[in-house]
Amino acid sequence: MSDIDKIISSKLPKGRSLWQDGLRRLWKRKLAMICFAVILIYFLLAGFIYAAELFHWHVGPIQWQEEVGRQYESPGWKHVFGTDIFGQSVLRKMLYGAKISITVALCASIISIVIGVPLGAIAGYFRGVTDEIIVWVYSTLSSIPYILLILAFAVVLRDKALFGYKLTGITTVYLAIGLTSWVGICRLIRGEVIKHKNREYVMAAQSYGCSNSRIIFRHLLPNVFHLVIIDFSLRFVSFIHAEVILSFLGLGEATRPSWGAMINDARIELSRGVWWQMAAATAAIFFISLALNIFGDALRDSLDPKLRIQ
Amino acid sequence: MANTNSYLLKVDDLKTWFPVRKGLMRKTVGYVKAVNGVSFAIKGGETLGLVGESGCGKTTVARSIVRLVPATAGEVIFEGTDVLSADKKRLRQIRKDISIIFQDPYGSLNPRMTVGDIIGEPLKVQKGIRGSELDQQVAMLLSKVGLAPEYINRYPHEFSGGQRQRIGVARALALRPKLVICDEPVSALDVSIQSQILNLLKDLQDEFGLTYLFIAHDLAVVEFFCDVVAVMYMGRIVEQADSQELYHNPLHPYTKALMSAIPEVDPKLRGKRQRLSGEVPSIMNPPPGCPFHPRCPLAEKVCEAVEQKLEEINGKRHLVACWKSREH
Repeated sequence: MSDIDKIISSKLPKGRSLWQDGLRRLWKRKLAMICFAVILIYFLLAGFIYAAELFHWHVGPIQWQEEVGRQYESPGWKHVFGTDIFGQSVLRKMLYGAKISITVALCASIISIVIGVPLGAIAGYFRGVTDEIIVWVYSTLSSIPYILLILAFAVVLRDKALFGYKLTGITTVYLAIGLTSWVGICRLIRGEVIKHKNREYVMAAQSYGCSNSRIIFRHLLPNVFHLVIIDFSLRFVSFIHAEVILSFLGLGEATRPSWGAMINDARIELSRGVWWQMAAATAAIFFISLALNIFGDALRDSLDPKLRIQ
Repeated sequence: MANTNSYLLKVDDLKTWFPVRKGLMRKTVGYVKAVNGVSFAIKGGETLGLVGESGCGKTTVARSIVRLVPATAGEVIFEGTDVLSADKKRLRQIRKDISIIFQDPYGSLNPRMTVGDIIGEPLKVQKGIRGSELDQQVAMLLSKVGLAPEYINRYPHEFSGGQRQRIGVARALALRPKLVICDEPVSALDVSIQSQILNLLKDLQDEFGLTYLFIAHDLAVVEFFCDVVAVMYMGRIVEQADSQELYHNPLHPYTKALMSAIPEVDPKLRGKRQRLSGEVPSIMNPPPGCPFHPRCPLAEKVCEAVEQKLEEINGKRHLVACWKSREH
């Protein structure tokens, strides 16, 4: 026993987990890391704008309301993306729009994961009646056209109070998106849990008396969670797009600039040859979409534990 | 079977049927009778081998005993209590005393957990052992199965198949069980590793006084390892005897065919091989009478009509379910 005591008290070599393994593979992909940097810039920008608003820093993006020039000045040295109808800087509006988009996409993702992952795990693990009820709910939800459903939720939730908190602007948007788009992740997790449930390591856990919740949280979810992350990275793009569409349709943020609202404004301007507001908003969407898509693919390739075995 | 008390585990007429559902209303159209009336008993400290070809229901028997799959009918008496009708609390206690070693050393260990967590989890959930005491017990278990205690923080994918199976053995022993169900513990391993694991299991049996239910499809392995051997075919036991008796005097034509399939090293001893013709009938739609009669070289009218029960034949604890074998 003293031998064993000595070994335990000494520092033991750490093994490399599948997570560390996957991150190492990801690190080796140059393009993916560049895309990650781009995504990080967007997030930092959004975070910076939050901080600036909180501490009243006088920086460009939060002073988007300021009239910096004449109406519709074309892009140039003074205004990189020109000005809009009120003479406000399009660049500032575009940067500020990052905050709205990131907030909406992040909150909507979290809501859909919080709803979808546990429901999927419960349905897949318990099967039977529980499974059928959950499948029935999400099948019903997914049979309604997506945009229509989001619109309906957004309209219903708009200006309603939830827990004494009035739902306005982007809160409505991310609630509407989050509450309607958990179906995909739920279905994915359910399928994976059904697959893993019959693996021998789960049977082993049952055989020595693990509780159901322990099996779900300690055994099943860690083994399917990489799919949540991959799904998150790809879904994030579609949430940014959903926000743009809602804002474009006039159901999103009305008082502050978002990319969707900018595109909506630019719709009329385009006929007058004012293209820069459209270009700025589209470019902002384009780069984060591209980065997230490439990064998501790389994540999928790196985090798949099957690659480890090959 | 004079004294039932000396048996640690007694399985009586165990049936595990899986319903086959079809159609929109998921109507049950039939059953897969994976286990169809299996009875056997294991004495404390003994090893019972369960052999048979793939799909004959060996694994389902093992899983039904610890209720990993629900049994349809029958009794499983472990230390005087019926496992199948035990309530949740009692079942949890029983699961402390019965553990399983699984077949696939790659699938039976959670790839996201460290070796320490895997081996320690039974101790954690059953006895609430934590912290340094847990580490100590895990390290001791690791050294018992021939692995260095330093491996405690490593992950399953960093080990070879044989080492992983040792981890599986350590986990099965963590709670000091009375009965260990070995579900083909060596069939996924290289032959050279197989003997290492088998020797390990033998040593552990001597050290801890374990009782094994040993499932295999390799008769050579079973001969070396088991005291009593039961041969299964299509969800039933067709022959059961002490290991030596069964190997020297197989009575059921199916057992004979299995025996003749064991490769013989000495060419002079190689007799005429008895090959089986045909295939295993569909388990959804088993033939009437003896399930083996379509492939049996000795089959007669009576075999097609009525199934013979498993009965003792010569007073040497030798049970066989065959009409023809009683003519000896």
